[in-house]
Amino acid sequence: MKAWIAPIMRGNSFRLALGVLAMALAWQLSVVLFKVPVHYLPSLPLIAERLSHYPDPFIAGFIRTASEMLIGLAVGTLFGLLSAVIMQRYRMVRHLLLPLFIISQTIPVIAFGAIVVMWFGNSLLAKAVIAFYLTFFTITVNTLAGLDSVDPKQISLLRSFGASNQQLLWRLQLPSALPAFFTGLKLAVATSLSGAVVGEWFGDTTGLGVLLLQSMYNEDTISLWSAILLVALLGSVCFGVVAAIEKRVLFWQHKQDINH
Amino acid sequence: MTTNSAAISEGWVESVSPRAVTKGSSILGLQNLTKRFGAITALENVSVDINKGEFITVIGPSGCGKSTLFNIVAGLDSPDDGHIAHHSRAIDARELLGQVAFMPQQDLLLPWRTVLDNAILAIELEGTPRAKARAQALKMLPEFGLKGFEKHYPHQLSGGMRQRVALMRTFLFRRELMLLDEPFGALDSLTRSMMQRWLLEIWQHHERTVLFITHDIDEAIFLADRVLVMSARPGRVKLEQRIDLPRPRRGDIVTSEEFMAIKRRLLAEIEEESMKSFAS
Repeated sequence: MKAWIAPIMRGNSFRLALGVLAMALAWQLSVVLFKVPVHYLPSLPLIAERLSHYPDPFIAGFIRTASEMLIGLAVGTLFGLLSAVIMQRYRMVRHLLLPLFIISQTIPVIAFGAIVVMWFGNSLLAKAVIAFYLTFFTITVNTLAGLDSVDPKQISLLRSFGASNQQLLWRLQLPSALPAFFTGLKLAVATSLSGAVVGEWFGDTTGLGVLLLQSMYNEDTISLWSAILLVALLGSVCFGVVAAIEKRVLFWQHKQDINH
Repeated sequence: MTTNSAAISEGWVESVSPRAVTKGSSILGLQNLTKRFGAITALENVSVDINKGEFITVIGPSGCGKSTLFNIVAGLDSPDDGHIAHHSRAIDARELLGQVAFMPQQDLLLPWRTVLDNAILAIELEGTPRAKARAQALKMLPEFGLKGFEKHYPHQLSGGMRQRVALMRTFLFRRELMLLDEPFGALDSLTRSMMQRWLLEIWQHHERTVLFITHDIDEAIFLADRVLVMSARPGRVKLEQRIDLPRPRRGDIVTSEEFMAIKRRLLAEIEEESMKSFAS
């Protein structure tokens, strides 16, 4: 899947469309040519038919899972940024908190998910919390690395102009950390989606994760693949949006690479 | 530097700057500065008086502590020993932070800012509203050969232009003393000599005081009222050479007899130091 996401990173939507088309063609051809049974891999028209005949659970599921993911991602991003800035400023906080952050990430999401559902019930909030749990760490770590890598000469220069800590942060450190931050954000898009989908497995009635689970129990491969494709769509659209924002915001970075 | 306050009360200030004042009053007096980094003594008993309106160049072999000296004058570092007087008032080195317009070797332009916004960085940090700062900078662009480039980004500029943006940033940050650390070191020799003449014009027009580090002996003589030759580690002021060549200086002055005589003298001193640092 990553291979066909990659072109978005270069902003080449034509090649992306071509890649998707080629993959769909390969799928369809192999199903027809090798007469693959439906319960292994259904043909694309069958999936399209399922989606168009029974759109409601899929639409509701898409919206639900997207909301869980986006809330978790948004809060995780803010939290990750904030904690990175604080850890960068206060060494003490970094030494205290960063190990705890790392330990938190070693707890399997299954264990964590069970606790969250007990705390927050089968609510949208519970899934958003799980998405958040899988999101903030990559943002924190990447942003922190970005903040740490600011050229000390650059800091000295701004200091010699009498810059305060806050000016240093907004004028120099945060912009310098943006490339690393966006790397973290792109990873976080993928993990927040897994968080939302897996979170639904702890119990719910709507969501793409719920559809995946129900289809599995019913051995309904057509619905299963429909849900999988919708998850992929959600993930790649969000990734594409982040990549497009990154390209706009970091216009200076790619051009600099060419120059040096 | 905690000894400074004591120095004031003991009347140390009055004994400062015994040298003849050429242009104006003393802006900055450095007295016996010493700076060590572990076992290495980067500066030893360096004393310099910088007078208003002067153009002083500092030349010496690599590792002679020029950069350490600059960091101290910029307020970024404190000496282990010695005194600093700012307008004949004893101060702590850190108080110089924000008092001196510092330009490091690399242009250090921010890649996400346009030429104009890079130029105003220092005065913006000082609190000048952006619109006002931009208007100020826009007027200065032609003089710095950057007219029409205000909306360009650093990656779209040549090395010489980037250096001029950095210089403009330094000039806009109106401080009596400008510290230029090998600003033309990375430029080709043609661009370099052009920039030197241009810098002298700007300097005379804006009436600033300049302390300028260089590795290039021609550059040191061509620009300066005074050349300080520094010794190999530990860095000391080995020789102070007044340059009385008439101003405005033209490019061909470097081939004149007076220029050559000064150069010969300085070369001998520098060579000796280079040999020392080479041998050690």
